[in-house]
Amino acid sequence: MDLILEYQSQLIDGTLMTIKLALTSLVIALVFGLLGAWAKLSSNRLARRLAGAYTTIVRGVPDLVLILLVFYGGQVTLNNIGVMTGLWGYVEVSQFAAGACTIGVIFGAYFTETFRGAIMAIPRGQIEAGISCGMPRSLIFRHIIWPQMVRYALPGFTNNWLVQLKTTALVSVIGLQDLVYNAFTAGRSTGMLFTFMAAAFVIYLMLTAISDVLLRALERYYSRGVVRAR
Amino acid sequence: MIRRTFLTTALTAALAAIAIPATAQDVLRIGVEGAYPPFSSTSSDGTLVGFDIDIAKALCAEIERECELVQQEWDGMIPALKAQKFDAIVASMSITEERKRQIDFTDKYYQTPARVVAPKDPDFEGTPEGLAGKRIGVQRGATHQCYAEKMFPDSEIVLYGSQDEVFRDLALGRVDAQLSDSLIAKEGFLDTNAGADYAFLGGDHLDIECYGEGVGIAVRQGEEELRDALSAAILAIRENGTYAEINDKYFEFDIYGGRPASE
Repeated sequence: MDLILEYQSQLIDGTLMTIKLALTSLVIALVFGLLGAWAKLSSNRLARRLAGAYTTIVRGVPDLVLILLVFYGGQVTLNNIGVMTGLWGYVEVSQFAAGACTIGVIFGAYFTETFRGAIMAIPRGQIEAGISCGMPRSLIFRHIIWPQMVRYALPGFTNNWLVQLKTTALVSVIGLQDLVYNAFTAGRSTGMLFTFMAAAFVIYLMLTAISDVLLRALERYYSRGVVRAR
Repeated sequence: MIRRTFLTTALTAALAAIAIPATAQDVLRIGVEGAYPPFSSTSSDGTLVGFDIDIAKALCAEIERECELVQQEWDGMIPALKAQKFDAIVASMSITEERKRQIDFTDKYYQTPARVVAPKDPDFEGTPEGLAGKRIGVQRGATHQCYAEKMFPDSEIVLYGSQDEVFRDLALGRVDAQLSDSLIAKEGFLDTNAGADYAFLGGDHLDIECYGEGVGIAVRQGEEELRDALSAAILAIRENGTYAEINDKYFEFDIYGGRPASE
């Protein structure tokens, strides 16, 4: 316990990095998820194909492989392009950007399916009713699709978010000093690996418990006006 | 057309956001691990300490380059070097043929020698003659087994799956002596309760055929200039006493281990 207090600044830094990374990648994942769901449901064949390829590829490859591919492969490719075209010599891909983007893109694929399912759960007639009232598309989206889509998507969203939060641990491989990385180095440095892994365990559990409470509140908010049959 | 312009703009912006202009030429960036005490560890305020860290700083001072230490997890060390995340690795990395296919190494900057451990005040010597007919425990594999079979042909070599088992059987008296890395023997056995009645027997054992060339600094292939500068700097800090000063901070004996492998 004394050791954990001694290394608390390391653990706090790591936890903040994990939170920052999880939230940044969540924003990216939501953008990709909404775009993907829109593309999959659109009448445009090319958009449907592209979104199909995106979810198939990303969901079919291990996260770690993608992270390493983007971070190291992306760096090498970027350098090679620069040398070939003579436009730049060496550019640094930041670990945070690479980590957040990769995780964001990976989970965007899962969110695509979550949102697609949620939109499809909205009775078609409601949208048709909106159109027949002469509502513009943006209004239909804001008043009919969005509130119901969120409600249908929230359980799946919660699932994805919890997995995503834990997936951020993978970025310690590319040298980002997140909670796992800092706990690991502290554990190895003091020879008390188990103590620090236990601390990381508790912190992760706290983070997921807090998200659980917040998401439950969100679920209640978006379910207002819906009466459950008893 | 509008869409393509938007895409180009977005891509350029994204690239600009993740790309920091190069500073690769002026500052020498060195990859270190920070999770391998006493060579490299992280203190509670996040600063890096250890033998590797001090050696890296001393070498930078010697070649008169400004250095930046980059902490990198062990598994990503070589990929990060190849992707130019840093220019050299000072992380207790052994020079092996397999690694040499991907990266270049300087001369060794340390090589902890192998030593024999036996009960205190034994009635035999640590020489091939003294150990003839004795049971010597070693870990199975390319290094210690190779050396023990070559060096002690008249002894009975007892093979184990892990170093811990070797120590355990030595403490139980099932073997008369054991041969292993001296630092591991000291920290993993002699300094523990189980090893209280045991001591090193005889001197250092070094052998390029069995033990390789030691631990070196890794650089990208084709960076001969940097590699040679660092190799020269290692010899220079050996000469001017800086190495000994750092060594004595962490270890009770000189871990450099004899002549450099290239001589």
